[in-house]
Amino acid sequence: MDAIVGQPLDRVDGRLKVTGGARYAAEFPVPGVVHAVLVQSSVAAGEIVAIDTSAAEGMPGVLAVITPENAEKLQADKGGEQVVSRPTLQDMQVLYNGQHVAIVVADTLDRAQAAASALKLTYKQDEAVTTMDSALNTAYRPKHFRGGARSPDSNRGDADAAFDAAAVKVDATYRTPIEHHNPMEPHATIARWDGDRVTVWTATQGISGAQHTLATLFGIPPANVRVICPYVGGGFGCKGSTWPPATLTAMAARKVGRPVKLSLTRRQMFTSNGYRPRTVQKVKLAADAGGKLVAIRHDGMSQMSMPSLGEFAEPVGLATEMLYSCPNVAVTHRLVGVNAPLPTYMRAPGEASGVFALESAMDELAVALRIDPVELRLRNYADGDEHEDKPFSLKNLRECYRQGAEAFGWSQRNPAPRSMRDGRVLIGWGMATSTYPANRRPAEALVRLQADGSVVAGSGTQDLGTGTYTVMTQVIADELGVSPRRVRFVLGDSTLPPAPGSGGSTTVASVSPAVQAACAAARQKLFSLILADPQAAGLTSADLRLANGVVLAPARRFPLSQVLARAGLEYIEGRGKTEGPPGGHSLHSFGAQFAEVRVDPDLGEIRVSRYVGAFDAGRILNAKTGRSQLIGGITYGIGMALLEETATDAETGRYVNADLAEYLVPVHPDVPLIRTIFVAGEDPVLDPLGARGIGELPMVGVAPAIANAVYHATGVRVRDLPIRIEDVLG
Amino acid sequence: MYDFTYQKPSSIADAVKLLAEPEAKALAGGQTFIPVLKQRLNKPSTLVDLAGLGLAGIKAEGDKITIGAMTTHGAIAASPEIKKAIPGLSMMAGWIGDTQVRHCGTMGGSLANNDPSACYPAAVLALNATIVTDKRRIGADEYFQGMFTTALATDELITSIEFALPVEKSAYEKFRNPASRYAMVGVFVAKSAAGVRVAVTGASQNGVFRHTEMEQALSGNWSPDAIAHIKTPPGGLNSDIHGSAEYRAHLITVMAKRAVAAAS
Ligand SMILES: Cc1cc2nc3c(=O)[nH]c(=O)nc-3n(C[C@H](O)[C@H](O)[C@H](O)COP(=O)(O)OP(=O)(O)OC[C@H]3O[C@@H](n4cnc5c(N)ncnc54)[C@H](O)[C@@H]3O)c2cc1C
Repeated sequence: MDAIVGQPLDRVDGRLKVTGGARYAAEFPVPGVVHAVLVQSSVAAGEIVAIDTSAAEGMPGVLAVITPENAEKLQADKGGEQVVSRPTLQDMQVLYNGQHVAIVVADTLDRAQAAASALKLTYKQDEAVTTMDSALNTAYRPKHFRGGARSPDSNRGDADAAFDAAAVKVDATYRTPIEHHNPMEPHATIARWDGDRVTVWTATQGISGAQHTLATLFGIPPANVRVICPYVGGGFGCKGSTWPPATLTAMAARKVGRPVKLSLTRRQMFTSNGYRPRTVQKVKLAADAGGKLVAIRHDGMSQMSMPSLGEFAEPVGLATEMLYSCPNVAVTHRLVGVNAPLPTYMRAPGEASGVFALESAMDELAVALRIDPVELRLRNYADGDEHEDKPFSLKNLRECYRQGAEAFGWSQRNPAPRSMRDGRVLIGWGMATSTYPANRRPAEALVRLQADGSVVAGSGTQDLGTGTYTVMTQVIADELGVSPRRVRFVLGDSTLPPAPGSGGSTTVASVSPAVQAACAAARQKLFSLILADPQAAGLTSADLRLANGVVLAPARRFPLSQVLARAGLEYIEGRGKTEGPPGGHSLHSFGAQFAEVRVDPDLGEIRVSRYVGAFDAGRILNAKTGRSQLIGGITYGIGMALLEETATDAETGRYVNADLAEYLVPVHPDVPLIRTIFVAGEDPVLDPLGARGIGELPMVGVAPAIANAVYHATGVRVRDLPIRIEDVLG
Repeated sequence: MYDFTYQKPSSIADAVKLLAEPEAKALAGGQTFIPVLKQRLNKPSTLVDLAGLGLAGIKAEGDKITIGAMTTHGAIAASPEIKKAIPGLSMMAGWIGDTQVRHCGTMGGSLANNDPSACYPAAVLALNATIVTDKRRIGADEYFQGMFTTALATDELITSIEFALPVEKSAYEKFRNPASRYAMVGVFVAKSAAGVRVAVTGASQNGVFRHTEMEQALSGNWSPDAIAHIKTPPGGLNSDIHGSAEYRAHLITVMAKRAVAAAS
């Protein structure tokens, strides 16, 4: 039988999704559910000095008004995965505009909204620092960079001395704005308590993380928290931590003794679950006359909230440490705290913004050296990871450059800016490198082989819309010799064997080995049962093969139904438990991004008109969902380059464009036909399937490829995202 | 939304009577007003639905085209009479918002609202149209009085809009807001018995205005080159996250040139 893994199988949950049958967090019909509405601070810094709940409490249908004065005391969560460390609603201090200061519960949503607006809060307002750029002099070193796993600063050789002595130099500052994830599905939670046990239906990228955080906050054992989340309408990082709205829903449900539902509005999505922080990045590159890099320095600052809320540093320099071969490299990461909500991971955190700076600077260096941008990258190709001093498990970046350039027609490029035109319209071609770490974490799974030959399997993982259901179904189909139609894979329930949160493109590489191991365990049990049967005399397990519900052996066949009936079993269960990646190698995916832009010289309007991305991402388990990830990631990158920016009103610290009319995301006319290429290759180290995650890789390098194309079209170098039409009018 | 009473009168007289109540408001296509209600930015006592008054329809006579206040943008864009007599108006209506907006939104509603980024005010001002209400006839130059402000009294209803024919040249160009498709800057140019008129919407903090310097230049020489040198001072122009006042000033010249070219 041909392998199912790798085929462009339609997503197994596709039909449910297009017919409305897939149930998202806010849609679970929980009998007796009542509704909660959040109240958020209207000042950016200070203290609540008085809360008048009398009007709200007297309104019809109101069941509870919970404020810091009567909120249940919570235990701080010291647990690993969470960015948020400060429990919500525990004191009267206000640290940002939009901070959750109360939650109101009523029998209907309208009544809860009316009561929420009747709550009267009086603040003692303090001076607020609302923008990063006004506070750069307060930058500080992160305390828990990458959860303590890495140092925020690194040095190889002497970058400053080498820079000073070098022939050709680039020294520039790049800025990226605050961006919000804006998944289609706003965050929602329903919570129901039964005694000291709570069931939570919540939109999350990590059911295990939510389970442990809620258990800690409410002082109950994790086993008493059940988290259910079969579908996620996009997360991109904002559903990675357990944010105050989920906690407050559980708190409210406990208080009113009934199930409570809270669904965030689009506007609340801008203040309630993180964002990509603004960055200011200084990059210095130096090369010898032949284009060989002699020094790289990348000093990155990213915006933080006030430090007591938690910590998140945008790791902009990590790719810089390993992307090119260079003897002298220095990287620093600093934070600038302001009165803003806590930032968090957003699709390709660190790489998306950091590689914008690095790859724009590489383009500036190519211009200064008069060397073709692809050629410059090839001259500085890193065969191994010089930061980790380890070999790469698999690196096909050269092929990405070659195949991408060929598909794009790069050799036809005239390097002079403003030299390529179509009538009056200026044409620009730009490129950039993409990279993202390949991650894997411990995971568990179980598989049940049923008498009719069908398979039920599960793992406490998530499907963010990326295709987990489909890909795991394919893995099982191959392992157990069964049609994908006869496999049912379940996920999104914390009663299933635990799996890591879906972030950092880890799901495929973490969960599929556990699923494979569970399949192997089930198969082994089945084979042992058969071999114990006198009819199997003379056979060994090497003689047995499972296909379509029958175990085949030379001249003999054992239908599963008979084997199970004889053993008195309903099903055979196998469990798999796998660990993180083996050490010894540097694990990264790579890619080459090529963009064409058309710029209207009268208006400055910029359109991406052609796009080619070639990626080295290991073995692709499903060509269709894989390609969808690439298209989605590149589209996200187009937004980053040209459209997305959250604007802060400096006076009040409030976001002024907290809706989808003013926060612009790419729509159909903004996105050209995207050509994607998967460069062949299986990762021999990361996991047995040779696969790597691809959720984040495709958006890395898109913004600099477009910025470099805009430079080529117009001669204007834009170092501040998003690129605006005013920027290129000159 | 706050609670309100809903009325659907079948005569203009009844509608005006209902609108005399201080907090009563008219409802046309609802494309502006319903979102306003949803956001609780307005608290009417009664909503007077104008759909039963027979105010929709396009009538072409020899020397004028009359468009009923309740005629939708979609109907205006699709009308062969308008396409023939005033192509710029047809073009303009066809570029409003999206299909849904064009099938619900009305010309009367847009003019009564006088959003500073709306398109019709530019067409009506450049074509020197007449706003006909249940009480009187108002010339375009008197009608528009700054953003969201018009000559209408609170209980006054627009019943139709009249465009004098022939219109020798007309065209509209706009730079769309990327999300809503409203005009960041829209320029309507027209040449008719009223002379050359250039009306600019989306740009000014005071709503639609006539660009007299361009009108003079085009009166002598109807060509994009005649206005290419004209710079609009950015003072008093809108500045927001989608574009600075300087950029809008720049857009006025580019859009005007393109409109003139399209009408040549
Ligand atoms: C997504 C979107 C995009 C849009 N894009 C554009 C665009 O590109 N260009 C553009 O010009 N517009 C645009 N609009 C606005 C649209 O054209 C509206 O239809 C118009 O502004 C209002 O017309 P309406 O019939 O919907 O009026 P309503 O919303 O029903 O009413 C608007 C106001 O006018 C009053 N009113 C209505 N009719 C009368 C009358 N006959 N006499 C007196 N008062 C009256 C009402 O009381 C109310 O105050 C857009 C709207 C949306 C939602």
